[in-house]
Amino acid sequence: MNRTSSGGGTLLLRPPLVRAALVLAVVAVLEAAARGGLVEPLVMPPPSVMFARLVEIVRSGPFVTDLVVTGATVATAFGLGGLVGLMIGILFWRFPFSGAVFEPYLVSMYSMPTIVFYPILLAVFGLGTKPIMIIASTMALIPVALNTMVALRAIPPTLPKLARSLNCTRLQTYRKVLAPAAVPMVVPGLVLGFIYAVIGTIAMEFILASRGLGYRTGFFYRSFEIADMYAYILVISIVAIIVNVGLNYFERRIRRDMQ
Amino acid sequence: MQRTGVVLDRVGVVYTTNDGGSLEAVRDVSGVVADGRFVSLIGPSGCGKSTLLDVVGGLLRPARGGVVINGEQVSGPRRDTAMVFQEDSTLHWRTVVGNVAFGLEIAGVGRREREARARDVIKLVGLAGFEDRHPRELSGGMKQRVAIARALLLDPRIMLMDEPFGALDQQTRMFIGRELLRVWEETRKSVLFVTHDIQEAVYLSDEVWVMSARPSVIKSKIAVDLDRPRAPGTMGSRRFHELTSEVWELLRVESEKALDASGELRTTP
Repeated sequence: MNRTSSGGGTLLLRPPLVRAALVLAVVAVLEAAARGGLVEPLVMPPPSVMFARLVEIVRSGPFVTDLVVTGATVATAFGLGGLVGLMIGILFWRFPFSGAVFEPYLVSMYSMPTIVFYPILLAVFGLGTKPIMIIASTMALIPVALNTMVALRAIPPTLPKLARSLNCTRLQTYRKVLAPAAVPMVVPGLVLGFIYAVIGTIAMEFILASRGLGYRTGFFYRSFEIADMYAYILVISIVAIIVNVGLNYFERRIRRDMQ
Repeated sequence: MQRTGVVLDRVGVVYTTNDGGSLEAVRDVSGVVADGRFVSLIGPSGCGKSTLLDVVGGLLRPARGGVVINGEQVSGPRRDTAMVFQEDSTLHWRTVVGNVAFGLEIAGVGRREREARARDVIKLVGLAGFEDRHPRELSGGMKQRVAIARALLLDPRIMLMDEPFGALDQQTRMFIGRELLRVWEETRKSVLFVTHDIQEAVYLSDEVWVMSARPSVIKSKIAVDLDRPRAPGTMGSRRFHELTSEVWELLRVESEKALDASGELRTTP
C-alpha cells in the first residue's frame, strides 16, 4: 500500500509535528524523572516548576530591564561589528595587498575564543558595558568581514566589465551591480555575525556585568535559585530561537529575490 | 580618413605580465567596418581577438595606433558602441525587462519610457512572454538574447560581440545565429563579431577577418559573397563550403602555431 499519499495516517508523520511531539516527550520524561526523585532538585527542578517561575519572572520589573539591557547590547555590538566587518571586507577586496597581509590574522581570530581576553579588557576598561561591547562586536565582525570579502571576490569579472562598457559611475557600479551581486553571500555572514554577537554578549554578562539576561542567569546559579536560573535559560533559548527563525526566513527571502 | 564606420588604424596592444615582462598581443591591425556591415574576427584561441574588441569598445587603451568611430578617436566607452560578452552578463536579481532596460537606466532614461522600449526589443529578440522572468528561469541561449536585447536597446551604431554564442551547444548556436541575422536585417547595425567557429563566421558575415597567432596581425580579409538574407540552405551551398575551406586553410597554419606554442601538440611525434 502506498503510505506516502495524503491519507489520514500521514498527517501525523509530518516532520514539524514529529519535532513538537519529541519536545513534549522529553519534557514529560524530565518531569517524571524530577518528581520521581531520579534527579536532585538542586540539579534540575521539575519543568512544571520552571514554567511557573518563568511566568512570574517574565511579569516582573527586573526581567524587562535585563531583556532591554541585553537586547540593546546585542544590537549595538552587532551594528558596530557588522558595519566595521562590511568595511573590512570591502577593503580587503578592493586592495588585495591589504587582504593578503591581514586576512590570515582575521582567520586565526575566527578560530580563537576571543572571550579569554576578558581579564585584559577588564583591566583596561573596568567593569561595565565597554568590555562586553568590544568582545561581542569583535566576534560579530569576523564572519561579516570574511563573507563580504569572499562574496565580492566571487563576482564574475563580466559584471564590472559590463558596468564599465555602459559608462556606469563608480557609485552606480557599486549600488546597481556589485552590491546586489554580493548580497546573497553577505547576508549569511550577517546572520552568523548576529549569532556571535548574542553569544559574546551573554557570555560576557555572565562574568562581568551587573545587569542583563546573562548576568541574571549567573546570579541565580550562584544563589542556588535553580528554578529561576532555568527559567532564565529558557527565556534566552526561546528568544534566540525566535530571532534565529526570523533571520533564516529573512535570509531565504533575500536569496530567493536575489538569485 | 574615412568619416563613417569604425576605422582601426595600426592598433597594437602590449600587456605587462606578472613577472614584469611584456607580451605583445596584437600588432599593427588595421581595417574598416563600414556602416551596416557585419564583420567577423576569427583566429586561433588566445590570439587577441577579444583584446582587439575591448580596444574598439574603449575598455582598453592600445599601446600603438588607435580606433576612430565616425570621425572621433575612441578614448573610453562610448554611447554609440554596445558590447555583448561570451559569459553570462545578466543581473540575476533583475527581471528580463530590468536587465534589458539596464543600459538606458544608466543613461538616465525614465522608468516608464525605458521599460516600454525594453518590451519592444524583447519581442524583437524572441523573448515575448518572458518579460517578468528572472535569469535563473532562462536557458543559456535565452540569457544571451537578453544581453543582445540590452545592447540593441542602446541603439548603438556598432555592436561589439565577443563570442556571444561560445558557451552554447551547437544546435542552439546555429538557431540563435539565424535569429541574430533576422534581427540584424531589421536593424542593420554595424557588427564586429568575435568567434572561433568558421561556419558561424562565414554564415553571419559580410567579411571575415582571419587573425594570426600571437602577436596577432590580420592575415587575410575574406569577403563573403553569399546572398542576403541568408537562406536556411546557405550552409549547404557550394560557395559556402568553398569559403569555409578557404578560412580553414588560413587558420590551420595559425592554429598549429598557437597550439605548438602552448605545448598542446608536443605529445604528437
